[in-house]
Amino acid sequence: MRFILTTCLSLIGLPVLADINAVIDDHIVARHAGFAQSTAALKETATLDCTPANVIPAYHAAFDKWVAISHIRFGPIEDNGEGLAIAFWPDKKGMIPKTLTDMIAAENPVVNDLEAFASHSVAARGFFALEQMLFDAKFSGYGADSYACKLTQAITFDLARIAAQTSNDWATYATTLRNAGATGNEVFLTDKEGAQALYTNLLGGLEYISAQRLARPLGSFEKPRPQRAEARRSTRSLRNIIVSLNALQEMAEMLADGEALETMEAFAATHRHAQTLNDKVFENLNETSAKFQLSTLQELVAFTHEAATAEIGQHLGVAAGFNALDGD
Amino acid sequence: MARTNRRGFLAGLLAATTVPTLSWADAGDPSYLAAARETDGTFAMFGLDRWGQDVFRIQLPTRGHAACAHPFAPEAVAFARRPGTYALVIDCVSGKVAARMDAPAQRHFNGHGIYLRDGDTLCTPENDYANGRGVIGFWSRKAGYRRVGEMPTGGIGPHDLKRLPGSDVLVVANGGILTHPETGREKLNLATMRPNLTYIDPAHGILEQVELEAGLHQNSIRHMDIHADGTVAFAMQWQGDLSEAVPLLGLHLRGRPLHLLEAPFEQQLGLNGYAGSVSYNGAGAQLAISSPRGGQVHFYAADGAFIGHWKRRDVCGLRALNDGFLASDGNGALHQITAANGATGGTALSVMPRAWDNHIVSI
Repeated sequence: MRFILTTCLSLIGLPVLADINAVIDDHIVARHAGFAQSTAALKETATLDCTPANVIPAYHAAFDKWVAISHIRFGPIEDNGEGLAIAFWPDKKGMIPKTLTDMIAAENPVVNDLEAFASHSVAARGFFALEQMLFDAKFSGYGADSYACKLTQAITFDLARIAAQTSNDWATYATTLRNAGATGNEVFLTDKEGAQALYTNLLGGLEYISAQRLARPLGSFEKPRPQRAEARRSTRSLRNIIVSLNALQEMAEMLADGEALETMEAFAATHRHAQTLNDKVFENLNETSAKFQLSTLQELVAFTHEAATAEIGQHLGVAAGFNALDGD
Repeated sequence: MARTNRRGFLAGLLAATTVPTLSWADAGDPSYLAAARETDGTFAMFGLDRWGQDVFRIQLPTRGHAACAHPFAPEAVAFARRPGTYALVIDCVSGKVAARMDAPAQRHFNGHGIYLRDGDTLCTPENDYANGRGVIGFWSRKAGYRRVGEMPTGGIGPHDLKRLPGSDVLVVANGGILTHPETGREKLNLATMRPNLTYIDPAHGILEQVELEAGLHQNSIRHMDIHADGTVAFAMQWQGDLSEAVPLLGLHLRGRPLHLLEAPFEQQLGLNGYAGSVSYNGAGAQLAISSPRGGQVHFYAADGAFIGHWKRRDVCGLRALNDGFLASDGNGALHQITAANGATGGTALSVMPRAWDNHIVSI
């Protein structure tokens, strides 16, 4: 009897790893496929008509799909080193406008060669370069026969290429992740390492919202920096946060098998608060009330992070980086 | 330790005829020391052979950082991690605490230390927090690890301390960050911090100091490795905006200007502004830095040319292993990693149910 009881107890204490397949198939692989489809559509749209008014809806659709999977930082995206090529932000030194201006002035022929463009400066590639081409008056007045048109098309081709490649590569990588700890698996040396990578990326996604998307525009209390808001030209600053929160919530739910009640409540509260914000690009941060509302959002994200760290870490039997967190 | 009885017996025999002088061979001839957290949440220090296999395991009362190995006696000093006020001298043959060192009032250790050439004087970088300055504490092994003196490090927040080859000249990484035990590791002077490398002759004081350029004053110099030719390789931790890809590795030879190294922009950004350990390889022809926050190691040729990277989650400890490096991570793995002919690669030597702590030290 004692033996049976001990066995039951130890089973309760064991990490549940079966849910990882759901995260891989229904979250990572499915969302990467969505990212590939939406960027293929963006490419097709820009091929037919490259002018901003035509491209913008497809740009938003594809950007949404990217934000909804951008928290997965390991695997193909890391191995291929394409993360910055998709989203080069923050651009602290203003490299994007400078690079685009130079390319347009010189009519740099790199736009005619997709392979060459793939190794061109990240400042001329990805969603943030495309955003300036479509939304910044410095660039967006171009016509169908212009060099700028070809540049816009090249950016969309490049995004579609990266997304297709990443999505394809996940088919193989998913097997590696699924078989974490198996003999010969040199990427995930133990079964826990797969779960830990997912857990770390979930937490990293929340950290990114707090430390980048919110902390940059919030600046210091005395000096908010609304011009540092992410994707403000295309009015996506708040939208990116909400899209990302939704994706992270899905991932958290799958990882926790419904056993992270506090985390789910925290996500819900964060989401509710985000929906009440009217300032989509945080341009009113000089007003105390706007600053307070955005700081509250940051606190809610931090609370969600705390809850997820504890509940999901316990559920999976993993912890975030021992050395990465120590910081000494 | 399993070997204690036999060794105790042998030691007893020897003691009957001659004065016992134990060496590292008596502790199983480890090549490295590293601390780890075990699955039950306790901490231990391990002796490792050159294939990364356990030679001994000694329980520690708290989490470690880096150990300090005596140059010939099988003794290691385990420092309580920053801001720790005690250090334990551990007899690696018996596994017992041979001596305990308590930091003097208003001083605390920073996790590192080094012996002078004679093996008698242990030097420990310490924070003199009442005066907001760093000091090196000197301890006499002969006198049972009694404190025998101290001198200023010429900066704030000294972290790592090394000795130049063939001399007793010390080099201190003054990290520049002011902390106070009452606020733990909270950084109190980020706006004004000014890290430096300081060379000190224990008999005469400061010999030379070098600072980073003004724009990099928030780049805390933390860890070092020394080439046989006296070049100091130093790893840094950026306290500024992480979207800036700043150099995290520098080289310095006394009397010369600093030489900062960095990878191409995108790869440099991948280190997340944080280098945890630095090491030359066995031949001294290459060096590497680890970033647990970026989950990767960057390799350089000794002349400063970037070679490439190797990815591994939570990688931090790094020491020379033949022509490559031994790397440890928080997931319990030890890896042999190399960058030969521009191609980087790694092989797991062991995976144990423990989290390897920040550093590996060579014996």
